[in-house]
Amino acid sequence: MESLYLLIPIALLFCAIAIKLLLWAIDSGQYDDLDKEAWKILADDEPAGNDSAPPQQDNEGRQQ
Amino acid sequence: MDQLPAMTSAMPPSNDPVIAPASTACYHCGEQVPAGADFTITIGGELRPMCCPGCRAVAELIATNGLENFYQQRTAYNQRPQKPADSPGGRYRVYDDPELAAGFTRADTQDKVTASLLLGDMTCAACTWLIEQTMGRLEGVYSARVNLQQQRLDICFDPARLPLSEIFARVDALGYRPRPFQASSQRQQMHDEYRSQLRRLAVAGLGMMQVGMFAIALHAGDIQGMEGEYQGLLRWVSLAVASFVVLFSSRPFFITAWRHLRQGALVMDLPVALAIGLAWLASAWATFTGSGQVYFDSVVMFTFFLLLGRFLEQRVRQRHALSWFNAESTLPDAVLIRRQGQWLTRPRTELQKGDLVLVKAGETIPADAVLAAGNSAVREDTFNGEHLPRTVAAGDMVYAGTVNVEAALQARVVGSYRDSRLAALQRSVEQAQGEKPRLAKLADRVASWFVAGVLLITGATALAWSQIAPQEALWISLSVLVISCPCALALATPAALTSAANALRRAGVIVRGENALESLARASHLIFDKTGTLTTGTLRISAVDMLAGGTRQDYLAIAAALQQHSNHPVSRAFGDITPAGTWEQVAYRVGAGVEGTGTDGRYRIGSEQFCRQWAPALPAPPDARRYWIALCRDTTPLAWIGLDDQLRPEAAAVIDAARRAGLMVELLTGDSSAQGALLARELNIEQVKTGLQPEEKMAHVRTLQQQGNVVTMVGDGLNDAPVLSLADASFAVAGATDLARTQANFVIVGGDLRCVTDTWRKARQCRRIILENFAWALGYNTCAIPLAALGHVPPWAAAIGMSLSSLLVVANSLRLNSKPRN
Repeated sequence: MESLYLLIPIALLFCAIAIKLLLWAIDSGQYDDLDKEAWKILADDEPAGNDSAPPQQDNEGRQQ
Repeated sequence: MDQLPAMTSAMPPSNDPVIAPASTACYHCGEQVPAGADFTITIGGELRPMCCPGCRAVAELIATNGLENFYQQRTAYNQRPQKPADSPGGRYRVYDDPELAAGFTRADTQDKVTASLLLGDMTCAACTWLIEQTMGRLEGVYSARVNLQQQRLDICFDPARLPLSEIFARVDALGYRPRPFQASSQRQQMHDEYRSQLRRLAVAGLGMMQVGMFAIALHAGDIQGMEGEYQGLLRWVSLAVASFVVLFSSRPFFITAWRHLRQGALVMDLPVALAIGLAWLASAWATFTGSGQVYFDSVVMFTFFLLLGRFLEQRVRQRHALSWFNAESTLPDAVLIRRQGQWLTRPRTELQKGDLVLVKAGETIPADAVLAAGNSAVREDTFNGEHLPRTVAAGDMVYAGTVNVEAALQARVVGSYRDSRLAALQRSVEQAQGEKPRLAKLADRVASWFVAGVLLITGATALAWSQIAPQEALWISLSVLVISCPCALALATPAALTSAANALRRAGVIVRGENALESLARASHLIFDKTGTLTTGTLRISAVDMLAGGTRQDYLAIAAALQQHSNHPVSRAFGDITPAGTWEQVAYRVGAGVEGTGTDGRYRIGSEQFCRQWAPALPAPPDARRYWIALCRDTTPLAWIGLDDQLRPEAAAVIDAARRAGLMVELLTGDSSAQGALLARELNIEQVKTGLQPEEKMAHVRTLQQQGNVVTMVGDGLNDAPVLSLADASFAVAGATDLARTQANFVIVGGDLRCVTDTWRKARQCRRIILENFAWALGYNTCAIPLAALGHVPPWAAAIGMSLSSLLVVANSLRLNSKPRN
């Protein structure tokens, strides 16, 4: 049971590190937009069927 | 090149239009496709219907960029893109001015600039993907990040390769409305608040796990037996972690409770602060003395769940509260000023009294000014809610925030923004918000009784036990306090409000504003505005009075051909008619109409006087109900075309439903014509007031409120903004200007009036659920407190009971998640 004297401080240390990391992540803005990130992991990064072609650039002429 | 076929197929066939069924919804924006319109386009291998050229252009852009996936991924329809007044590129060119851009850009290095844009009309997370994908692949863009919650795009780019105006134009081409993101202190404050809430929540969550772990060991020790040394160790460690959590995370409860207590008000935070504070104190005392019981796990868990509930509630509320009411932001950033004999584009902030400014057709007038030259018409719906413009000539006054619709104007500025009529309107909105009667929150009213009750019972328990067994008195009174811990009670309201707001959002109603749902549930009066609320706010051709031989279709086709050359809002009514004939010498006469030479003579379309100049035989317009324009060929009057603001199809049913539900329905309109009264008769509304100025509308609402009524107001337009913010609960119909939306507690996104009654029903249901939650929480406490007072409740039972009762409250609130209408 003496090991508790070692294990509990270690647990607390880990907890402190976790809190520190989480606070850093919040302050650096990683949790600013929870809706988008939740959705984003399901979306493809690159749209299908359009590997590297640059987007067509001549579209706004037809806006009006 | 591959979009050419798509384009030809999208061209309206000239002779034999494929008429889409009337119920077809536009694939892009979800609005009904007008009969006879044929704007189809192939997306994802299927032909999709579109309602207007605007939607088609956006959809085509998305499709040709290979981003069709967007349509599968999105969870809400897009907003219908507004018809650009002139070429979008030109409109945004002013932002290339470094002085103007400095307000919302930050130069990291010479060729790396970060700009922040506020995006209008973003509807769901898929929009962020679409924008990021499109912008990120542009030549010269390093990175593009969209924040949905703030509706903000941060784009890092090379100004040498890509001008800022091009970025604006690209976003515009996707159907979103970009504006410079102006940092405001309110917005900053909200952002900081959000982060600090999240920080508190994170600390409470991690702390809860730690303390919970030690608590399990302690409980196990209670059952199996444990050496005092280790029990002490675990208690001391728990004390350390719990103290940190209480100090870091629970602080806002103490601050709010204390602030209100000093003003003599008992709010929900007071019992919360008491429970946390006393349970912590008692546990700390137990740790120091090595006696009694510790409740650190309850303290920390309670803090975590409460913070979580509030965080979720806050998030729903803040989600759409970001476009703060700022009338000034509707004014153009750049203006053409006459300086040393030249027209120079300068930032609007440089405008001074006496400056001569040039306002082109379709632009917003930047300051209150007197016309120096030019004839035009200005749309003043900002102030009067009407969509038909006022004709102005040299010497007339024009106001900041109104739109010049017909021809270019030169005007001399008469004062700064602070003295303008628009600024006065903004002030009256702020004032109205301050005046709004505060209905006490249900939770706070319950809280005051609750606090008094709990303190009384605890006091009585302590007194009684100090007579019976003084050594037990402290611990038993404490267990009374812990068991009466108002966890369920404190969760009762936020859980219900959050889940009702979620359900409403799915049904197309955005909920904002603090007590809106509670106020709405208590509403006694439902007041409608007319133009743009009960009616669609756009003119439609509703009658054609034939004055000579020929067919209705022919005349309308001729009228449509001529109206193509007009900027007047009336011309939009002809937008879905296929024009006919070949025309020469077409000329647009400002404030009068259009004339042109066709194959069989010269035609005029426009006002009565304009046509009578050629055709004196033109009879008077048929009635006063509609807005009439005349069509004539040489000296022959051909037709009167009557235009009408269409009543929303669901209006009658909504008003009927509201009346049956026992609400007093009224109509207040700024329109002084006979239309208001006629409309009211048609809809069976007994209380009608027409020709009201915004101040008179406010006075009426104020009178009703002073009589003890709870007023719900449904409106659109900026002119309604003050009265919307004065009403206890308010709705804005979308399509409404952004500004009015920010004033309203509920925004109806699809423009469907049925949402008003649906929301009202949901609000009533929400109130019922909150009352049920209170009944349960109070009932639980009433049963448990006597047991605790008699000393029969062990701490673990108290903890389990507390958690179960909170879970029950949350589960009950989730019943609100169902859609209001099937």
